[in-house]
Amino acid sequence: MADAVFLGLTVITIGSAIAALELRSLIYGSIALMGTLGGIAGFFLLLDAPFVALFQIAVYVGSIAVLILFTVMLVKRELIFKKIEDRRRKFAGIGLMLVTMMSLGAIFLESGIKDITTDEPAVDFRDIGADFVTYYWPALIAMALILAGSVTGALVLARREDVENDQRAS
Amino acid sequence: MSVIAPQFKFSEFVKSLLDNAFWILFLMVLVGLPAVMMILFVIDLPVIDGELLTPFLAFTWLVDPTRTLPIIHALMATDFFRIAVFPGFGFAALLAAGTIFAERKMLAKMQLRVGPFYCGKIEGILQLMGDGLKLISKEIIIPAKADKPLFWAAPVLFVATAAAFVSLIPVAPGWVVADIDLGLLGVFAVIGFFPIITILSAWSANSKYPFIGGIRALFQMVSFEIPLILSLLGVVMLTGTLNLSEIVESQSAFPWIVFLPIGAIVFFITMLAELERIPFDLPEAESEIVAGWLTEFSGMMYGLVQLGTYLKLYAFAALFVVLFLGGWHGPMVVPPFPYEIITEGITMGPVTAQIPGLPLFTQEMLNGTFWFVLKTVAVIFFILLPRGVFPRIRVDMLLNLGWTKLIGLCFVNIFIALGLLYAGVLGPGGLQ
Repeated sequence: MADAVFLGLTVITIGSAIAALELRSLIYGSIALMGTLGGIAGFFLLLDAPFVALFQIAVYVGSIAVLILFTVMLVKRELIFKKIEDRRRKFAGIGLMLVTMMSLGAIFLESGIKDITTDEPAVDFRDIGADFVTYYWPALIAMALILAGSVTGALVLARREDVENDQRAS
Repeated sequence: MSVIAPQFKFSEFVKSLLDNAFWILFLMVLVGLPAVMMILFVIDLPVIDGELLTPFLAFTWLVDPTRTLPIIHALMATDFFRIAVFPGFGFAALLAAGTIFAERKMLAKMQLRVGPFYCGKIEGILQLMGDGLKLISKEIIIPAKADKPLFWAAPVLFVATAAAFVSLIPVAPGWVVADIDLGLLGVFAVIGFFPIITILSAWSANSKYPFIGGIRALFQMVSFEIPLILSLLGVVMLTGTLNLSEIVESQSAFPWIVFLPIGAIVFFITMLAELERIPFDLPEAESEIVAGWLTEFSGMMYGLVQLGTYLKLYAFAALFVVLFLGGWHGPMVVPPFPYEIITEGITMGPVTAQIPGLPLFTQEMLNGTFWFVLKTVAVIFFILLPRGVFPRIRVDMLLNLGWTKLIGLCFVNIFIALGLLYAGVLGPGGLQ
């Protein structure tokens, strides 16, 4: 059962990833990207990590994919269906992808992943939270500071002196 | 003579009825019965009490109440019953239908109108059925340059997402379709799909008004999702769980709205925005952009979107009840089941009927459902109320409200929850 589900998810994820790259219509491409992200959420569910899976759906499918869709819809209409064909670059890309995946696979197989026992119970999300505020707190603080800094920087960059209009909400 | 059908003849009408009956019988004998026999030939019939359950035996049992009640019991224990009937789709659709009628009638009374009046003789009670029949019989028109697969898929996906949301809501103790450990997170994940479906359907219609409405809906939903999630964190901190049933269990003494009123108010406002209701109905502003992202839908596609909208409304109201108003908790008002019916049977004159397996529902379940429905209806009333009172607000005011004021209030709410927790008022050692 789990193997069949794994195979189905793999087909969905890789197939929609290829579709996301190859489809002419940008809208359908971004829908295919949603399929890829959802498939990855399925992998997390198979790995007994429902917390990560639901966050994957809520953040990646629910927010990031929406932002991509939004950006795509604001692109000019001619650009959505524009054809850029270059066979040499395509084959070079496929070759590069194969080399990368094969080397990554070799590294994974060498890393002793075959010896891992997989009958562990699912990790409680409370344990994840406890780990975050005890063992991993410096990383958490650093991440928070970086995010806060980037948000502040973005706000500073996006700031504009608008013409004041007394009809706007203050 | 009827004006609608001037060529009407009663004899022709009777003939058409007889024709229909003949063809139905003809097809059933030639196609239907052989198909049933073939299916019976393939499936394995179960053996119950040493007897093979043939279709004849099944029909014999169906008319015997002592045999049917256990079957109903067994049916009620199945997942299908939960998904399709009680805490799931059927129950929610019934409440949603009631909501549509109550909304029209109540708004009319508030604005000194009559509202639905003629359909069904008594206060227009059959208006909804009439509207449904009209929507089913209308032609589905698809714009010529629309993106057809997406345009067809959008209403179905909308209803499916709303139904997925409904399936996470616990109605009575143990009566929930999907009792998952991370229920609230599941709610957040499901809510995230609504803007995607909205914008895709708006784009696929290839028309100006739906696109403007879809962009507005996307703006509104995405920016109000953040205060929505943040306003619920206070409850999660106090209960220490994401399971919605456990959150309800934690409110047996008092509902969380007593301690977290700010979170409840913020959640209510974001709820109005997520549901696209007045004063936040910019995506469907009918005085500016026809009907917003619903403009190009017609016939039953529009009906499906409407059904999804009201299912979503029920689900949000139920989520408010579950998180802030104590869910199914309330004083016991349902009388206990008279157990002499089980031991002695029902005596009607000379006949005494012995009916085993009678209490179909437990007292707790009936009481919980009663209080849950009462609270949900009250919350739905408060969701409907602004529609008769407020005007629509501008987009910049909406985004300003969502991104600055509501998020600020959410953090105040979170700090109140943390203060209660660390001061020892609630949590371990405190009241609960």
